[in-house]
Amino acid sequence: MSASIPPASRSFSFNLSSVYSRFSPRVGEVTLSRSEDSKIAIPTPGLLVSTSRGVVPHLSRDHNRKAQPIRWVHVPFETFLEHKPPVPTLQGGEHPLHRFLGYSPEKQVISSSLRDPYDGREVPPNGNNFLSANCVRGVHKVTPDEWRSYTLLCKPDIVMALTDIPFTPPPYSQKRITKSIERSCAWLVNLLRPIDGHHPLNVFVQMAGGTVIPARKAFADTLMEPLYAKDAEMVKPLPRLDEGIAGYAFDLVPLSLSLPVPSPEEVIALFQTSLSPLSIDKPRLVNSVSSPHEILALIRDVGIDLFDAHWVQRAADVGVALDFTFPAVSKDETRSEKLRLGHNLYDHVYADDFSLLDNSPFDGERVCPCMSCSPSSPDTLILHSSVDEPLQGNQTSSPLPGFTNAYLHHLLHTHEMSAHTLLVMHNLTVLDMFFEGVRKTIASDELDFNAEVDRFMEVYDGTLGVLDDARIMWTEVEMARGKGRLAREKVKQSETSSLEITVSA
Amino acid sequence: MQFEIIAKCHTTRARVSRMKLAHGVTMLPTFMPVATQAAIKGLTPQQVEALGITLILNNTYHLNLRPGINVLDQAGGAHQFQGWRRNLLTDSGGFQLVSLSKFTTITEEGALFQSPFTGEPTMLTPEESISIQHSIGADIIMQLDDVVSSLTIGPRVAEAMERSVRWLDRCIAHHEKSGKKSTQNLFAIVQGGLDPTLRDQCLDAMIQRQDGVAGYAIGGLSGGEEKDIFWRVIKQCADKLPEERPRYSMGIGFAEDLLVCVALGVDMADCVFPTRTARFGVALTHTGPINLKLSKYGNDMNPIDSSCPCPTCTDGTSRAFLHHIVTHETAAAHAVTLHNLVFQAQVMGRARDAIVAGTFPDYLRSFFASYFGEAGYPEWCVNALRSVGVDLLEGTSNVKLIPGSGAKWEYATS
Repeated sequence: MSASIPPASRSFSFNLSSVYSRFSPRVGEVTLSRSEDSKIAIPTPGLLVSTSRGVVPHLSRDHNRKAQPIRWVHVPFETFLEHKPPVPTLQGGEHPLHRFLGYSPEKQVISSSLRDPYDGREVPPNGNNFLSANCVRGVHKVTPDEWRSYTLLCKPDIVMALTDIPFTPPPYSQKRITKSIERSCAWLVNLLRPIDGHHPLNVFVQMAGGTVIPARKAFADTLMEPLYAKDAEMVKPLPRLDEGIAGYAFDLVPLSLSLPVPSPEEVIALFQTSLSPLSIDKPRLVNSVSSPHEILALIRDVGIDLFDAHWVQRAADVGVALDFTFPAVSKDETRSEKLRLGHNLYDHVYADDFSLLDNSPFDGERVCPCMSCSPSSPDTLILHSSVDEPLQGNQTSSPLPGFTNAYLHHLLHTHEMSAHTLLVMHNLTVLDMFFEGVRKTIASDELDFNAEVDRFMEVYDGTLGVLDDARIMWTEVEMARGKGRLAREKVKQSETSSLEITVSA
Repeated sequence: MQFEIIAKCHTTRARVSRMKLAHGVTMLPTFMPVATQAAIKGLTPQQVEALGITLILNNTYHLNLRPGINVLDQAGGAHQFQGWRRNLLTDSGGFQLVSLSKFTTITEEGALFQSPFTGEPTMLTPEESISIQHSIGADIIMQLDDVVSSLTIGPRVAEAMERSVRWLDRCIAHHEKSGKKSTQNLFAIVQGGLDPTLRDQCLDAMIQRQDGVAGYAIGGLSGGEEKDIFWRVIKQCADKLPEERPRYSMGIGFAEDLLVCVALGVDMADCVFPTRTARFGVALTHTGPINLKLSKYGNDMNPIDSSCPCPTCTDGTSRAFLHHIVTHETAAAHAVTLHNLVFQAQVMGRARDAIVAGTFPDYLRSFFASYFGEAGYPEWCVNALRSVGVDLLEGTSNVKLIPGSGAKWEYATS
């Protein structure tokens, strides 16, 4: 089977290392090889980082390169539609999208979809030969040919095929859903057309079918069916669409906008339906999770491998420093309430709290390695004249004290941007460490993953009340000043479709 | 403080000196970025240090309100609080009292102002200002001065100048009593508005007190006065102030202003301009400012300046990319701020090198030619530099002279 797949597409591979069944938790590794010597390894279950307008919000390039957790970034392309042609297509070179956006080809994987998976705002309906996409200038129609051409010009490492997910008011008729399946397959076929007989693209497909079980099954079945006639001709030598697919993606936002909204159990059933006919050892990615409880349930019940970090990044936007580990800390039996997942640093209790953001040391003693808790000295200084003095030896080697809760509290109340820079780095690191704990637990003989999941949900509050509190105080600070920023943040908040779903036990 | 002049320009009054403070060495002349509320907006202290910046400014008025002296004391001072391990300068809070407070009354005792958060009237005395600056722990602290706008005329100007001298005495006394003199250095602020006689009186009085102060600031300017008058006041002060004390012009940030001040004998300046303009999408370059919001940059794949050593430019960050994110993403503010800070540092660094090499007049000429070019030179700069023996127009032909500020800007049609 693998001999029929051209070597160019072997740049992406996914290997599972633990024992697994179709929907069980599993430990694996995504590898992207750029050459014999240049490989990026992303252990799973793991995270991918969300971007806005192509950048990880609040981070400058030197930060996003140095940050351990930032191995895979997801770039929704629609933001670039403001300009015709989209500006990244003008970059040229070996890794145009990396270069344009400032990511490191050596260390970072870029995936790209046309639409932002988190954006649930209403857009005009898609057509047979186009998809409605949103950019700052309004809605643009993008054809499958255009998407393919943008992908070939910008060269993201992984591309999401166009999927016809309606963002019009529900409910959707059977006709609409059937169309959605047909279009999504047609658009996938278009993307999988070979280039000089090769299939160099690493394609992920967003599962179509919405909240309708038979539709989900139909879509997944179509991916696995042998191709005939025109379709086979278009994508040869792929015998079926699944051969050209590197991974499967699932979007929670459209489900949360459906009528009725599916329950957590129903969501699991929908995902399992999609996965049942598909290849068991291809990576599974879920977009728009909103809590670690949801993540754990999806790992436990569906065997999901990759999750976006959008929610931890947004927590940083509203001043929340996340603070949870897996396995969970021991439960404090003297307290009846569950632990909050993080700290609302707007709260005045932090005004003179000089401890670090990191309250739960990992592995017992290790301080959080993020840029806020463990800042590092610059390696060199820019010297502007011949009389300027370079860094003295002791200035490079000495470790620097971490930023305190009191300082972050101050930055948040004085509306300083660096608060969010530090919090994003910290939150991504907390999430990264969480996944490290998850992988260790799944792989371990001594620890029982399911039992640890139950315990985690016992210890921590899955309703994320801390975010609600923080948002209120964030709004107060915004009202006090920051007129321009308020307008932009309003747009961001409106994208937050009411994610009522929490997939928890 | 150890202050040592290591080179002097043979034509102008510029000099290069080495200033050693409790948190390390700062080479002068230098530009000081402003970290108003204990942060250079959007950047971490490690990022700022990596740019080769050794001295930044914190704002006493703001820090006294938030986080407040209690928190700063518990933190062990502003250096520890914000994670900045190099030199720090605080102003006295005097300027903000006037510019920010809706209701300020100045009396001999001090300034009575209304807190913007609680509305309570609070008194800021010279002693109190120095105490707050002691808690902040800056390496250079400023006297509390009686600040009037540079556009004020009449007896108020003289009153303010005379009171500033009396308040200087109180600041000196309070500082000496505190035992902090060995780690924190007090600067006086010369006032007197735009009146040469008043300035002269102030200079005489404050120079008499030179044993009590480590340096002198030239205050009461940058309030919208005519640039052609501004430089004359700077020159008058710099001519008279002792050579062996650093001179600090407050609120100066445009490149041309900085270089003129350096030529007149100034060693330090601070301003929010480069960082603020960065957040609004304007990148400063040696050929003038570029407004990245303009659509002409929408597909310009060049960096801001391919020879700039800042992290943004060395990474090849394109103007097109910055155009896409500027004013939308904080990352754009960070990228352009990093660049603008390095630009300012480069302007001053090249000045230092030129002064040491004896080529400072050539540097001035080539800077102005490159920065202003055909847009025309500000006439006041030509006048100011002529007063210290540099003819900016030498070697040029048909350079327009622009009256007024002559500052260069970029518009959609330019």
